[in-house]
Amino acid sequence: MIAAVRDYFGFVAALVRSVQREGLSWSASVKAAWDIGVESMPILLVIAGFIGSNLSLQGHAAFAPLGAQRMLGMFVSLAGVRELAPIIAGSMVAAKAGTQMASQLGVMRIQEQLDALEVMAVDPLAHLVAPRLAGIMLALPALVIVSTFTMIAAAYFAAVHQLGVGGATFLRFAADGVRPIDFAYGEIKGAVFGAVICTVSCWYGFHCGSGPEGVGRATNQAVVTSAVLCVVLNYLLSEVMYGG
Amino acid sequence: MVSALSPSARVLSLLSGFGRFGTFCGELGVRAVSRPFYLREALAYAGVTAARCLAPVLAVTLPCGMVIALQGLQIFDLYGAQRLLSSLVSVAVLRELSPVMACVLVAAQGGSSCAAELGSMRIKEEIDATEVMGVDALRFHVLPRLLGLTLACPILGTFGALAGLLGGYLTAVVLKGEASGVYLANLWALTQPADLWAGIFKTLVFGFSIGLVATFHGFHARGGAAGVGRAVNETVVRSVLVFVVVNYLLTSALFTDAP
Repeated sequence: MIAAVRDYFGFVAALVRSVQREGLSWSASVKAAWDIGVESMPILLVIAGFIGSNLSLQGHAAFAPLGAQRMLGMFVSLAGVRELAPIIAGSMVAAKAGTQMASQLGVMRIQEQLDALEVMAVDPLAHLVAPRLAGIMLALPALVIVSTFTMIAAAYFAAVHQLGVGGATFLRFAADGVRPIDFAYGEIKGAVFGAVICTVSCWYGFHCGSGPEGVGRATNQAVVTSAVLCVVLNYLLSEVMYGG
Repeated sequence: MVSALSPSARVLSLLSGFGRFGTFCGELGVRAVSRPFYLREALAYAGVTAARCLAPVLAVTLPCGMVIALQGLQIFDLYGAQRLLSSLVSVAVLRELSPVMACVLVAAQGGSSCAAELGSMRIKEEIDATEVMGVDALRFHVLPRLLGLTLACPILGTFGALAGLLGGYLTAVVLKGEASGVYLANLWALTQPADLWAGIFKTLVFGFSIGLVATFHGFHARGGAAGVGRAVNETVVRSVLVFVVVNYLLTSALFTDAP
């Protein structure tokens, strides 16, 4: 376990050195960002929508006995913007793009394509991992914004049409619930989650065991580890951003 | 990969996917109600899944409980209602957080391992070998896994709920210095035993949907090692998608008495 952690940090350090040496291809990064964003968008829209309306239902069930239905909008926007949107965008990108990175690089490892690249003096870290890292760090903050607004819109829809809360009240309290800085914090969380998901998934891909089981296991461990790390980091970031 | 297909071919492949899934469910349904049952294998698989997923589930639900307490404290401080904090934590943890987060991790860990196992058995033609020997692969390999995943989820959800409540306690009492007695006294102010049962019912339904999606993708994996990777990927994404939608429907049915 400790050896694995040390190896992971060695991998990240080697990645930084490769980027310093060989530079970063912006066109490859933007293409990676586009692929990650487009692939994860439909599923993220559906999940953020259902989680947002669910948030409304539960918030209403909790506040109605206290006679505080008006607070629903504030609850939704606060929980959505500060916590749920970044963590949901992060876990869906981990499940979609992270697993894809792990299995693509894993297949390249077991088919010895990575070794072939190294033999040809092409650095796989600079050419395969670095653009994915830059791409996910561009795409994930954008997906956080998308999931924030999808979630609040779905929550509004559920509150007004399913629960019968006044729309104007909901929106006024929703606007009271957040400060502009909260959106910036959400973006920072998104970028940090992206960096963690990409480096962890690519590390598992690079260290893939042999055969189909190896690829399956690398993919599996990539998504579990990056999801756990995102949630733990989320707590630490929230503590720094909001705990004081 | 996907964009190489024309739109009509994509619609067709989507429809045929639904068709295969329906057939798969039907064949499983027939075998689920007829002998022989491999219950011992199912229980063993439930134990394996629970053991495999326990650490990730705890590692995720604990920080989630801590975050809820952290943010809840911010709001309740504004209104001087800190005593409601533990009620908020227990409502959020029991009704939504522990079922959903535990099952996200079961999908990521247990569901994807299940798809990877079945997928590599399919790729290495072990499933065909089983069938050649006259053993029904769906009955012997798939049904026990489906049942095992379904049974493991409530166990993991319960542990997740305990970890979430503990996380809330850690933040509120240990880190932020709220009074321990106030936290414990208000813990069950807004929750009833029915919430607990509803949470367990949810995890059963989620576990069943994870199991169906995982076994379907693993059983139908093809195309070598990359195919196994793809089956794992699709399992995680689609099972999370399915149970988030199911979660909304269940919450509407179980927790709202609105018109």
